[in-house]
Amino acid sequence: MTRPVLEVKNLSTSFFTDDGEVKAVRDVSFELYPGETLGIVGESGCGKSVTAMSVLGLVQRPGKIINGQILFQDRDLIKVSSEEMRQIRGRDIAMIFQDPLSSLNPVLRVGFQIDEAMKAHDKVAREDIAARGVSLFQQVRVPDAPRRIKDYPHQFSGGMRQRAMIAMGLSNRPEILIADEPTTALDVTVQAQILELLRDLNQEMGTSIILITHNLGVIAGLCKRVVVMYAGEIVEEGPAEQIFEAPQHPYTWSLLRSLPRVDEKKHERLRSIEGLPPDLIAPPPGCEFNPRCPFRIEKCFTEDPELEVVAAGQQAACWVTMTKAYAEMGAATITDTRPGAASGVRPPADLLQVVADLRTLEEPAVLEKLAEDPDLLEKLAADPTALEQLAEEHPAVVETLTDE
Amino acid sequence: MLTRGTVIYIVQRVILIAFTVLVVSFGVFYAVHSLPGNAFISEKLHGESLQAVLHSYGLDRPIPVQYWDFLRNALHGDFGQSFVIQGQPITPLLVRELSVSMMLGGAALLITIGMGIPFGVVAAMRQNTAWDYSLTTFAVIGYSVPSFVIATLGILIFGLWLHDLTGGAFYYPISWTGTYGNLAELSVPAIALGLYTSGQVTRITRAAMLDVVQQDYVRTARAKGLKARIVTLRHVLRNALVPVTSILRPLIVSIIAGSVVIENLFGIPGLGKEFVRSITAHDYNITVAVFSVYAALIGVANLAVDLVYTVIDPRIRY
Amino acid sequence: MATTVVTPTAPIEYAGGTLAREQVGLWRDGWRRLRRNKLALVSVFYLIFLVLVAIISFFWTPYKPNSFGACLTYATPSAAHPFGCDEYGRDSLSRLMVGTQVSLAVGVGTALIVVIVGVTLGLVSGYFRGWIDSVISLVINIFYGIPALLVALVLYLLLGPGLFTIMVAISVTIWMDMARLVRGQTLSIREREFIEAARASGARAGKMLFGHIFPNALGPIIVQGTFVIPIAILTEAFLAFLGLGLPPPQADWGGMASEGLPAIRFVPHITLFPSIALSVTLLAFNFFGDGLRDAFDPRQKR
Repeated sequence: MTRPVLEVKNLSTSFFTDDGEVKAVRDVSFELYPGETLGIVGESGCGKSVTAMSVLGLVQRPGKIINGQILFQDRDLIKVSSEEMRQIRGRDIAMIFQDPLSSLNPVLRVGFQIDEAMKAHDKVAREDIAARGVSLFQQVRVPDAPRRIKDYPHQFSGGMRQRAMIAMGLSNRPEILIADEPTTALDVTVQAQILELLRDLNQEMGTSIILITHNLGVIAGLCKRVVVMYAGEIVEEGPAEQIFEAPQHPYTWSLLRSLPRVDEKKHERLRSIEGLPPDLIAPPPGCEFNPRCPFRIEKCFTEDPELEVVAAGQQAACWVTMTKAYAEMGAATITDTRPGAASGVRPPADLLQVVADLRTLEEPAVLEKLAEDPDLLEKLAADPTALEQLAEEHPAVVETLTDE
Repeated sequence: MLTRGTVIYIVQRVILIAFTVLVVSFGVFYAVHSLPGNAFISEKLHGESLQAVLHSYGLDRPIPVQYWDFLRNALHGDFGQSFVIQGQPITPLLVRELSVSMMLGGAALLITIGMGIPFGVVAAMRQNTAWDYSLTTFAVIGYSVPSFVIATLGILIFGLWLHDLTGGAFYYPISWTGTYGNLAELSVPAIALGLYTSGQVTRITRAAMLDVVQQDYVRTARAKGLKARIVTLRHVLRNALVPVTSILRPLIVSIIAGSVVIENLFGIPGLGKEFVRSITAHDYNITVAVFSVYAALIGVANLAVDLVYTVIDPRIRY
Repeated sequence: MATTVVTPTAPIEYAGGTLAREQVGLWRDGWRRLRRNKLALVSVFYLIFLVLVAIISFFWTPYKPNSFGACLTYATPSAAHPFGCDEYGRDSLSRLMVGTQVSLAVGVGTALIVVIVGVTLGLVSGYFRGWIDSVISLVINIFYGIPALLVALVLYLLLGPGLFTIMVAISVTIWMDMARLVRGQTLSIREREFIEAARASGARAGKMLFGHIFPNALGPIIVQGTFVIPIAILTEAFLAFLGLGLPPPQADWGGMASEGLPAIRFVPHITLFPSIALSVTLLAFNFFGDGLRDAFDPRQKR
């Protein structure tokens, strides 16, 4: 196999906030090969953007790369000087962003913003810059390019702005283009055009692309390989087709299930994943996905799974994996996707955590939960600290509890 | 740059300024003429002789009639004569005084922008460092300490305590020596006047810079591999200037108001000194004229700021 | 139906390195931040001291503040008269103490007037919108174009000298910021769901405005109100400095500073002490206001 153009090894990036250390990216490793389009998928806040920013050395205070290597052209980008990093940015590795309106400077002409990207590096000869700006504009299919290049961003439509961003990204013929949610802010028809443009540019110029998105549909048409991230970690990785066909991590499975499908009955409601991504200051012990996983087993609460080969070229970090879930838990037919629903495994109750959760609920909901769970009631009644904490929020509930 | 729309806009604004000046002048005219007492009250003049004097100045007529008279003459550039300084025509007096005030105000504006913006930029770029703390504290001192206190200190320190060192260049014997072009002489009053506004500009610039730094397009600029200095000046500062420009309108108004105090304190023969003198001496014609000039000045300054705005922010078109 | 486990904190958005964590216990958080701000804290203590001085001076001053010849004319500071005496031989310390009353009264009184006028107009303008809003906005813009100090001057002449006159004259020139702020707040709050709910349940306009919208805009109003105080004190000092303050022999800081001016070459202390008192007080109010804004209203950048 050819050498990768970019190799990320054990990257960890954290944000040091007043509330504590937010571990946004943890121990992430992946490779990008020449001419390849790699997809990174995950919900917002899963660390995919921070990963990209780390590669470009753009993580700002209070964020900091705390561990790992980012190997590019025989250099570790974490260790290079800030001037060296500046020269790599935009020249060798370019990036385009989610919202093309807010990503273009509103007070400067679009053409100027493209030209200054070239002027910052000596890759394009000075005298060619202006002409190259126009030809880039034509290349990304902006109609009437010589005139439009003199416009300001607010005179452009959303799709045109994203084309301008792409032109800017490609201006120095970078080896790698990182596209962070390039189509999210655009409407559907424009999305398709932009994706097609990216695919063509990838084929014509041989630029390697990292496509970051929360939308698996976007990945499907464009990427050969996919990395799935959850809560700052890679949970699954492999060839796109294989992952779409046979996802092994329950999170990937849930993501795919939540996609709207053409072949589905019209009235079936769009499925979404239950619950919220975890708090990255204090992630849950064990596998981070356990609080939302329908297939969780006891081990998931205590031990964090590592990435393991699950099929040819495919890795997943899961104690169960979907193969087992299909075979033993009837995953193919389940409709109930609530946490632990398929496996029937309840979390070992950390009483104080349960109380903290109860405190965020309304009183009737608390009573309902307690009525459902006699075990919990018993434990609560035996623990004065837990009772006291619950009483702070729901004194009436505790009164009835102690009366019984 | 000067499109048809811009010209129409300027014409509209000029009409609005004229209207404002009209309203302000009538308001002030009415107000001062309804005040008890007039310029001619003294032991020697009363009864019929007072009436005779008032009549000779046309002051016994109804106020609207008087105002109409004043307005007609004013439109021909003639603000009439002073009641107090016998036979002194007001127009040339005001022209001379306006040029003095403009010089002082212009110097203060220069300090406001020339000091306020760089200080704000440095404070923001070095956020939470000693630089930031000293510059922001300096800014707060600037807009907290009244300009007359700064002026007094200036007189004390440079005019008196350091008199030998400065060779009397800053000596203000509570009255202007008349060398209007003397920079050294102008510097202390201009600083006293400009510190307040420059403090405000520092604060706004710093806040705006910190706000803009968070914007996506600054991230884009960094991702392009631009040098840090270019990112700061071309991308962050250019955009931060938008709110800074909008604060300039009230600041210009406050420079004009502050000049009244400063001119009186230093004895600078500008409009502000004339204004206070005319009020205390009941020299109505001058009060009204000065007020009208101020209103026009503010209108023109605001228009100028709005035109600068279109240069700074291309999204704004008139 | 069993509810899904609710994580106690809201999800965090990292894109671009910005972190927005849901604010829990805004007020408690605010106090914590305010206490951490040393300058603001020192200012609070100074302002408390100032209030005490003002109260004490009602009952007791070292000498009678307005009696001539308490000591020698232009006496420099000494043990008996720590701040010296003015040109009439009045004790400067006693006059400074009494002057505290004037500054605080003008500051707080003006702030109250501004809050009442600004909040009312802002609420009405933002809530009813339409032509009422247009008219109020126009008036606000006209007032912005007029030099505050000069308007205050003319108003002062018209209304005659007096504490209330001064407060009204100053209020007239600075109510616009408050009105504009409250209008903006009202515009955004009225779109929120709970207001929709209250309106749907048939609440009257008056109850909506003061029962629902006003309490939700209280934070920014208090912050803006604290900024009115130094502006009012400053304007009053300017007026007094120009000889248009309270009628003599009432002592106020601006007037005292201007009285000492003719003799500044020989006895600068007469001007210096009231100037320092004024400057330190204004600084304290501004530091306190800044601290308050940073602590309770971190998004509002001015």
